[in-house]
Amino acid sequence: MSVPGHRLDRMFNPKVVAVVGDKGPMYMWLRNNMPFKEKGGTLYSVQLDPAQIPGIEALGVKNVTSMSEIPEPIDYALVAVPRQVSPFVLKDLIANGAGGAGFFTSGFAETGEELGIKLQGQLVEMAKEANFNLVGPNCMGLYLPKAGVRFNADAPVTDDGRVGFLSQSGTHGIMFSLVAGANGIGLSRCASIGNAVVLDVSDYIDYLMQDDETEVIGMYVEGVRNGRKFFETLREACKRKPVIVWKGGATEAGSRATMSHTGSLAAPSAIWEGMMRQCGAITTQNLDETIDTMKALLSAKKPRGNRMALLAQTGGQSVSITDAFARAGWEVPAFTDSTYATLGEFFNIIGGSFKNPLDMAGTVQGKTETLDKILSIIEADPNIDGMAMELSAMFAARQWKANPAVLDTTLDIIKAHMNASDKPFVAILHPAHEMEYIGSIMHKFHEREIPVFQSFERAANAMRRVSDYWASR
Amino acid sequence: MTFEAVLAQARAEGRTLLNEVEAKQLLRDAGVPVTNTTLATSREEAQAQAEAAGYPVVLKVVSPDIAHKSDAGGVKLNLKSKDEVGAAHDAILESCLKHVPGARITGVAVQHMAPQGTEVIVGMTTDPQFGPVMMFGLGGIMVEVLKDVSFRLVPLEEKDATQMIDEIKGRPILAGVRGQPPADIGALKTAILKVAEFVEKHPEVKELDLNPVFAYPDGAIAVDARIVVAEA
Repeated sequence: MSVPGHRLDRMFNPKVVAVVGDKGPMYMWLRNNMPFKEKGGTLYSVQLDPAQIPGIEALGVKNVTSMSEIPEPIDYALVAVPRQVSPFVLKDLIANGAGGAGFFTSGFAETGEELGIKLQGQLVEMAKEANFNLVGPNCMGLYLPKAGVRFNADAPVTDDGRVGFLSQSGTHGIMFSLVAGANGIGLSRCASIGNAVVLDVSDYIDYLMQDDETEVIGMYVEGVRNGRKFFETLREACKRKPVIVWKGGATEAGSRATMSHTGSLAAPSAIWEGMMRQCGAITTQNLDETIDTMKALLSAKKPRGNRMALLAQTGGQSVSITDAFARAGWEVPAFTDSTYATLGEFFNIIGGSFKNPLDMAGTVQGKTETLDKILSIIEADPNIDGMAMELSAMFAARQWKANPAVLDTTLDIIKAHMNASDKPFVAILHPAHEMEYIGSIMHKFHEREIPVFQSFERAANAMRRVSDYWASR
Repeated sequence: MTFEAVLAQARAEGRTLLNEVEAKQLLRDAGVPVTNTTLATSREEAQAQAEAAGYPVVLKVVSPDIAHKSDAGGVKLNLKSKDEVGAAHDAILESCLKHVPGARITGVAVQHMAPQGTEVIVGMTTDPQFGPVMMFGLGGIMVEVLKDVSFRLVPLEEKDATQMIDEIKGRPILAGVRGQPPADIGALKTAILKVAEFVEKHPEVKELDLNPVFAYPDGAIAVDARIVVAEA
């Protein structure tokens, strides 16, 4: 889907892509964009120096030495030329009628140098006059998994991404994309926005909030250029879909003259926090929190209350899971008498407890049908609004490795309960001493869309953010 | 006087700070609950206004040259008779002129002394990036030491005012602790929203303090007000 008529629609749904200034034999940008070509898109290389394109035929990409040789309008271009050349490239792109371009080229105002500032000013003036969609400069450009346009050769190519992400930092944009992919979270569209001197973060938010393929918006921002526009756009976006804002960097305390008490108390960080709450955005402080929150938003049901059932494998972990959830503000109430009565019929009281938290390893002992039974009983308890369950690599990895069907059946049972229940479920699987093996089975959780976290705290905190978000709606 | 007239007068006098009488009159007209405060330019006027306001009264100096009124001996509280008001009036003038020689004294502000309530602060400032911003917090030590305040960007919706009050750490104090009666949250919300409307309507206002506002079980009232306007 797209947003017809939106100024960013062409570049976000490209059919014709040009890479300007890539060099062999590495061809970083052409290689990043090979999936686009493989999916049937038209990919051009623009490189005027034949000495820079050794073996380009092997990539199957047509090189032109001047943009005017491209017989059709470019939807999106990635520009990687020396900064002095960038105004000439921009002129050609405008003449071509291109839909937009990401300027990987850096060395502009971010350097503080006179020439950099001057060149950036030139780009801005030209782009604004032509109403041209300039992404960056000093950025990684767009990552469009469905189209196959990428800013990194490891970034997944997927058709069904649900998260739109914007990043002021190129590294965070790439890192987020890769870590999201490794956590089973697909992206719809992603933009590394760099210096954001023509298109501001608000322009991209405006697109993502209208884009049907984007269910959740996330962003990494350090600062915004137009504060009022950002506030108004973000507030509108938050009305339409969940927005997660990861703010990087302490906002500088503006040393401005103030004659009021209020003015002396108005720290930029306090105003930012107030604005986030006013908009209804979810705030995070780092990559992990951002990923965890998205995971919980996308694959756990909405919590309708604050009462958690905690299912751990041993006594010590029962205490720790309770600590983590209690610290995150969750209640861990007693089950109903009827739940106790039913559990009491089969629960192995020796080495186990069937209070909340439920210490169940001694009872389940790898018997998946017992797990099935316990989940059904807890799920039906009216004192409970959601469930968090520990899976133990320490105890179970040996068995799962020996008999992978046990793991598959366990996950199928969990998934069946998730499907049948309107209460949220989250799994916690600490890799313990089996980091490599646990890494190798993560895809089994992701395929089933079972939200899984590496620690009790990460699960508890992610669910807290999501729960607070839905409660404020 | 209209906002425009007050603004014009302040600018004509080279002031960006409106005096207490001007600020309160504008806020009152905008529906913000403030103590009725009048300007007396003589001892006799001060006494007549005190009689009309009802005792006890408070007298405060009004002068473009005196920023810290208490330090200059420019504030007299809890005056209970005509004689006390007359003596206080003279003492204020004498003390202020002693502290700030040559100060221009516009007069003395006279107001009924409102009974003590739970102190809160309602304010507004202009952020260089985000424009007008409202602030709410508990008054006194909570704001001075703990900076327990919340912010929202203007314009505000009703839910924003509710959240501003609810998210301060000292919120339980407003619900009433240790036998203290609860504060009228509805009245505080109204005060916040009315101030937000006022500053939205008048972009010339750059900063504003209602400090303190006394919150009662039934109602709330600002007993001091300060408005800073942009330079012409």
